[in-house]
Amino acid sequence: MKRRTFFLGMAGLSGCTRDTRPRLNVYNWSEYIAAETISRFEEATGARVHYSIYESNEELLAKIFSGNSGWDVVFPSHYYVAPMQENGLLAPLNSSQLPLLSNLTEDMQHPVWDTNLDWCMPYMLGGAGIIHQVSLKVEEPSWQLLWRDDLRGKVTMLDDPADSIGAALLKLGYPLNATESTALEHAKQELIRQKKILRAYLNSESRQALVAGDLLASHLWATTSLLAIAETDQLTYYYPREGFARYADCAVILKESKRRDLAHEFLNFLLRPEIAAANAKAAMTTTPNALARELLPPSLRESAVLFPDAETLALGQWFAALSPEGQRLRDRIWTEVKAH
Amino acid sequence: MSLTLRAMAGVIFAFLYLPLGALIAFSVNDSASTVWEGFSWRWYLELWNDPQILNATANSLLIATISTVLSTAIGTLAAYALWKRRSRTLITTVYLSLVTPEVVMGVALLALYQAVFRYLDIQLGMHTVILAHVSFCISYVVLVVLARLRTMDGSLEEAALDLGATEWQAFYRVTLPSLTPAIAAAALLAFSTSFDDYVITSLVAGVDSETLPMLIYAKARRAISPSVNALCAIIVVVIGTLVLLAQRLQKS
Amino acid sequence: MVGFFLLPMVVILTYSLLTRGTYGGLGLPWTLENYQRLADPLYLTIFLRSFLLAGVVTVLCIPLAFPLALFISRSGRRKLLWLNLVMLPFFTSLLVRTYAWMFLLRDTGLVNAILLKLGIITSPLPLLYNDGAVLLGLVYSYLPFMVLPVYATLERVDPALLEAAADLGERPWGAIRRVLLPLTRPGILAGSVLVFIPSLGSYLTPDLLGGGKSILVGNVIQNQFTSARDWPFGASIAICLMLLVFGLLRAWESRTGEGIE
Repeated sequence: MKRRTFFLGMAGLSGCTRDTRPRLNVYNWSEYIAAETISRFEEATGARVHYSIYESNEELLAKIFSGNSGWDVVFPSHYYVAPMQENGLLAPLNSSQLPLLSNLTEDMQHPVWDTNLDWCMPYMLGGAGIIHQVSLKVEEPSWQLLWRDDLRGKVTMLDDPADSIGAALLKLGYPLNATESTALEHAKQELIRQKKILRAYLNSESRQALVAGDLLASHLWATTSLLAIAETDQLTYYYPREGFARYADCAVILKESKRRDLAHEFLNFLLRPEIAAANAKAAMTTTPNALARELLPPSLRESAVLFPDAETLALGQWFAALSPEGQRLRDRIWTEVKAH
Repeated sequence: MSLTLRAMAGVIFAFLYLPLGALIAFSVNDSASTVWEGFSWRWYLELWNDPQILNATANSLLIATISTVLSTAIGTLAAYALWKRRSRTLITTVYLSLVTPEVVMGVALLALYQAVFRYLDIQLGMHTVILAHVSFCISYVVLVVLARLRTMDGSLEEAALDLGATEWQAFYRVTLPSLTPAIAAAALLAFSTSFDDYVITSLVAGVDSETLPMLIYAKARRAISPSVNALCAIIVVVIGTLVLLAQRLQKS
Repeated sequence: MVGFFLLPMVVILTYSLLTRGTYGGLGLPWTLENYQRLADPLYLTIFLRSFLLAGVVTVLCIPLAFPLALFISRSGRRKLLWLNLVMLPFFTSLLVRTYAWMFLLRDTGLVNAILLKLGIITSPLPLLYNDGAVLLGLVYSYLPFMVLPVYATLERVDPALLEAAADLGERPWGAIRRVLLPLTRPGILAGSVLVFIPSLGSYLTPDLLGGGKSILVGNVIQNQFTSARDWPFGASIAICLMLLVFGLLRAWESRTGEGIE
């Protein structure tokens, strides 16, 4: 008797919707979109958008892995696109439904990880470098700053295996995506050495401490750094000369989505110059949209952090998707670093 | 009672309440820093105007209410069965649920859902969260109700049975009334556990089911701001009131 | 009455599913390899560290819980009120309580602000993001679990015993040591189990207060299911943890002869 009422109740709940407008479920990074974008899209198309946020790729992946998560459009980082596609999670993009793709810069129309944009649409670009207090004496833009003994207890690294192991690899002169065990061992030793002076592994949490002056230098993403710099002029940012990690967060449509046309409309909407500019301004990120860049205020358009000059940009390396063994080795290295 | 004992107890009590007190105190601070700048409700107003928070609160309340109703019902019956018949498997299950670390529980449920969803066309959502909550709330209910049952005299029920009542009638008319305070207490315990839960919920939540703890976690990771304080303060006050209520009921 | 077996059975089913997961739930061949991977000094160290941390938390809880429990048991008519007050923080979300400590301990937090104001220090102390903060957070979260059972056993102690001890010339402290402590041992043991087990598997508190610098069992499990995407391995760790916990419980149960009340 209890069981029956229970199941009836469940059925009732899941069928319960008052709104008959078509609905799109969008799952994106936090602070990555302008407040009006969603409402403008809803007005333009008459659809309803349910928008939610996540903090990491892994969180995203854990949710959508079943192939039945309910999301339509998600924004993984570029190096997750290939694995997602191989696991049958993505719906192919129909370029005829995305006429505004030409707004993207040339290189973003044929990115390394998806040359014909069959599966993804670059949304925002980023990089991870070093932010530090202006008062700090820095001879050259290098990763070495985060290993300096005189900054003991006042530096943080990103709490992300790809970023932090990558930083150590780059500092030692290895490529960002090295998978040989010697290189990784070396990087591991470097990270363990650093732990003595490290305050913590923090992501965006370091922003407050940096602004308050409690941290002297941090490994941080460009966008978060810009947000911190906006709050105080005591901070500055640079891309290390040994190289830095670049990433692109891309919009993809999940295979499970039953509203692919609407999803395509949404992606195309995001490509509109004024929309892309608004998003880039709100998120303080690098937009891959050439037309949108023109519309940005000079402080962002000419920002060396968001749009570094060609020479600096050449130092950037894209993260690559790792093989299962490569992933396992990295994960083990990360566990070892943390366990010491 | 000696003065030293009072003093020691006092200090420890202070330790228990200081963090929460500080949270609440600074939620009405006019400034965002730890410098007192005057009394202000503005952070609460900010919360009130934030649709995401209202939505998450609504979700949390809905999930907690349904989970409580279900787990209390099932848990009470389970406790009753345990009282009448010692079942090794059942009591082991209850123990297991209690001692499982939350992360293991959450991950197990997620794995279960992922496997099931490959065959049935269901998605992660409110229902999965509710199912998960019921799963872990049941053991708490069983615990409370069983404890009460064990202090009760079984002979009353037997007398009823002798007088010709059916098993169900005996339960309904004799045992249940005296169990009511325990059931109420258990229900409130289940409610607060469900409302508070973060780890399990975050693992099995879907599109529609962002709950308040999930929101707090996201905000706490990003920045420590007084609006989060205000949110926490609300939770403390609400849950606190509920718990005190529960104890009142249990006393009577 | 069979209906209510449904949901607990779901839980058990989930665990058996986990076993299947460790044998290859995601397409790999069925294998015991995941368990073999665990027999690695790295993971053993992590398990050990987690046990150690949980142990310290438990040991710290005892001297804190005891005076409280004693105080409550001697409060006469207001016993229940004090008991509720002790349990109250526990019912407010774990997340809220952990966040409260973040608020207090961070560099610009209340503790540092007060110390700076009083001139005791000149620059903020790094109170947050270390093992100490995690310890503090865990003790704070699970202290009530120790108070309850100790109080329960104290209630059953015959006050005449204490009086007798006093009459025999024992000072209060001696009386406590010689008389009360042995009598409340079952309560302390019960409380220890109730504190140890959640501390062992804790994930949220170390995550928020620890600054990511150290890794505990809960973190490893969570990590496997998220960034490492190695569900089978994560499942095997979870099963091991469960077995350990279960074994502990059984051992305790057989020694004391009572179940959890």
